[in-house]
Amino acid sequence: MDNVKELLKNGVSRRKFLAGMGAGAGTMAAVAFAAGCGSNNKKPTPTPTPSGITDADILNFALNLEYLEAEFYLRATTGQGLSATDAGSGAGAVTGGTQVVFTTPAIQQYALEIANDELLHVQFLRKALGSAAVSRPPIDLTNSFNAAAMAAGIGPSFNPFADENSFIVGAFTFEDVGVTAYHGAAPLLQDKTYLSAAAGIMATEAYHAAEIRTLLAYTGGNFLTYANQISALRAAAGGGNEVAISGSAIVPADSNSIAFDRTTDQVLHIVYLNPTGVVKSGGFFPSGLNGKITATAS
Amino acid sequence: METTERDQMNVGPQYASRRAAMMLGGTALASLALGKLAHAQSTTVTDVDILNFALNLEYLEAQYYTLATQGQTIDQVGVGITGPSGSAGGTVTVKANAQVPFQTPLLQQYAMETAMEERNHVTFLRSALGAAAVAQPNIDLQNSFNALAQAAGLGSSFDPFANETNFLLGAFIFEDVGVTAYHGAAGLISDKTYLDKAAGILAVEAYHAGSIRTRIFAAGTAAQQAASKIAAARASLDGTGNDDIGVGVSNGAATIVNADSNAIAFSRTTAQVLKIVYGGGSASGAFFPNGLNGTIK
Repeated sequence: MDNVKELLKNGVSRRKFLAGMGAGAGTMAAVAFAAGCGSNNKKPTPTPTPSGITDADILNFALNLEYLEAEFYLRATTGQGLSATDAGSGAGAVTGGTQVVFTTPAIQQYALEIANDELLHVQFLRKALGSAAVSRPPIDLTNSFNAAAMAAGIGPSFNPFADENSFIVGAFTFEDVGVTAYHGAAPLLQDKTYLSAAAGIMATEAYHAAEIRTLLAYTGGNFLTYANQISALRAAAGGGNEVAISGSAIVPADSNSIAFDRTTDQVLHIVYLNPTGVVKSGGFFPSGLNGKITATAS
Repeated sequence: METTERDQMNVGPQYASRRAAMMLGGTALASLALGKLAHAQSTTVTDVDILNFALNLEYLEAQYYTLATQGQTIDQVGVGITGPSGSAGGTVTVKANAQVPFQTPLLQQYAMETAMEERNHVTFLRSALGAAAVAQPNIDLQNSFNALAQAAGLGSSFDPFANETNFLLGAFIFEDVGVTAYHGAAGLISDKTYLDKAAGILAVEAYHAGSIRTRIFAAGTAAQQAASKIAAARASLDGTGNDDIGVGVSNGAATIVNADSNAIAFSRTTAQVLKIVYGGGSASGAFFPNGLNGTIK
C-alpha cells in the first residue's frame, strides 16, 4: 500500500497544460458565462424533462452523450474516432481530438479501458434502438474545451490531448455528467429492460468517474484545481449537483449520500456550455444534439 | 523511485484479465458444494421488502468502514440499528481494536468518507422505511473473512483490519456486490421515488467500487491477484461463474470497471447476492451468521 500514495503524485508532469496560462487569465471575461465558485451546492428550481417523450427519445439522448465520450476517448487513445458504421449514416463531423502521448502505462491502460467501454455503449444503444438510432451529430473537441477553460477561469485555451494529465482533466469534464444524466433518465424509462440497462450503464459511468476523481485527488496541484474549476462551471450550468474533488470527497452526492441526478435540460446547458435561456446548440455540440431532446426549455 | 513504482503498478497480471477471471470462477471454489440457485425473483416482493434487503447490506458496509476508521460500531457513534417496536439490533463479531493503522492520508480520508456515506445510507433507508425498517441482524466481520479467504485461495485466515492493503481487499469484497445488488433491485422497485433513490445509491456504490479498484490496481500485482481471486470466488458463490471481473490488465486495457461485454455493470438477483454474503450457505452464514432480517433472506 505504500505505493498508493505515490500514485501519480510525483511522476506526473507539473507542466502547465495551458498555453498562455498566466496571472491575468482568471480575470478575463468569460465568453459564455462565469462559473461561481460558491454555487456548487446551490440548486435552482430544475426545469422538468419534457413530457410526452418516449423511451427511444431518452435512449437517443443518451446515445448523443455516448458519441461525445467515445470520440473523446477513442481519439485520445488511438487517434481515430468512431467507424462510419458506428457513427451512423450522414454522421456529423468531429472537430479536433488527437492521440495523447501517454508516458505512464497505467494511465494509458485506464484510458484504453474507458475508450472501449464508451465504444461498447455506443454500439449497445445503437443496437437497442435499431432503425430509430440517431446518427452522430457534429462534435467539437477543440473550441469547446477552449470556451470551457475560459468560462471556468482556467485560461484562454485548454487542450485535453496535450498530455496525459490534461487528458484526465478532459475526462473529468464528462464522467460525472454522464452519471447524473443516466440517473435523471432512469426513472423516466417505461420499459424495465431499458431501465436495467440504463442503470447498468450509469454504474459503469460511476466507476469511470470515481477512477478519474481518485486519480485527480492523488495528482493534486494545478490539475486538481483545473478539474474543480470545471466542476464549478458544471454547477453553474447544471443546477448545482457538484462536489469539488478532495481526498475526502471522491463521491459527488447529496446530504443523504445519494448521487445527484440532472434533468435533460440541465445536462444540455452543460454540454452546450450555456447556462441560461432556450439553447439548442453550442459547446461540444455546435449544431445541437440529434433526436427529440435537443433544446432547453429555459 | 516513484516512476519505478508506478511502472510496477502498470504491469497487471494477465491471469487477472476479464477472460481469465471468468475461467477461474469455475474452479476456484470447486470444493464448495453449491446449492442450485433460484434465478428468478419472487414476483410478490414489495418495495419495503427490497429496501429492507438493501438495509441489511448497508448495515454490513457501515459497520465494516466505521470499525475500520474509528474502531467503533455504528450504534456506538449514534446510528440506529433497532427494528420495529424498538426490537434490539444484532451483535457484531469483530476482533478487538479493529481500527486500521492507516499510513496514507489520502486513503484514510477516503475510508472516512466511505464510512460516513454508508452510515448515511443506513440512516436514509431507516428513515424511508419508518416503522417497517428491520433491525440490524447479527454481523460477523471476523470468521467470515477467514472462511472467504480459504474459499478464494488466499490462505487460512484474513484480517481486513491488519493493514491498508487488507483493508482495500476487505472493502473490495463488498463494493462490487453492492453495485450488483442495487442494479438487480432497480428493476424490481415499483415506486418511482424509491427507484430514483435506489439508482442514486447504486451510483454511489459504483463510485466506491471504482475508487477501491483503482487503488488496488495502483497497489501492485499482489493486491491485483488477491482481488481477482476474490472476484472469482464471488462469481463461483453466486453460481454463474462468469459475472465478476478481477482487477488487472486485459489486452492492454485496465479492468477497473466490473461490467459485461456491453460495458454494462453486472446485476445480481437477491438470491445470488445472498449466496455471496452467506458464503455459499442457503439461509445464513459468513457475514450474516443468523441470516438477514426481513422477507428476503
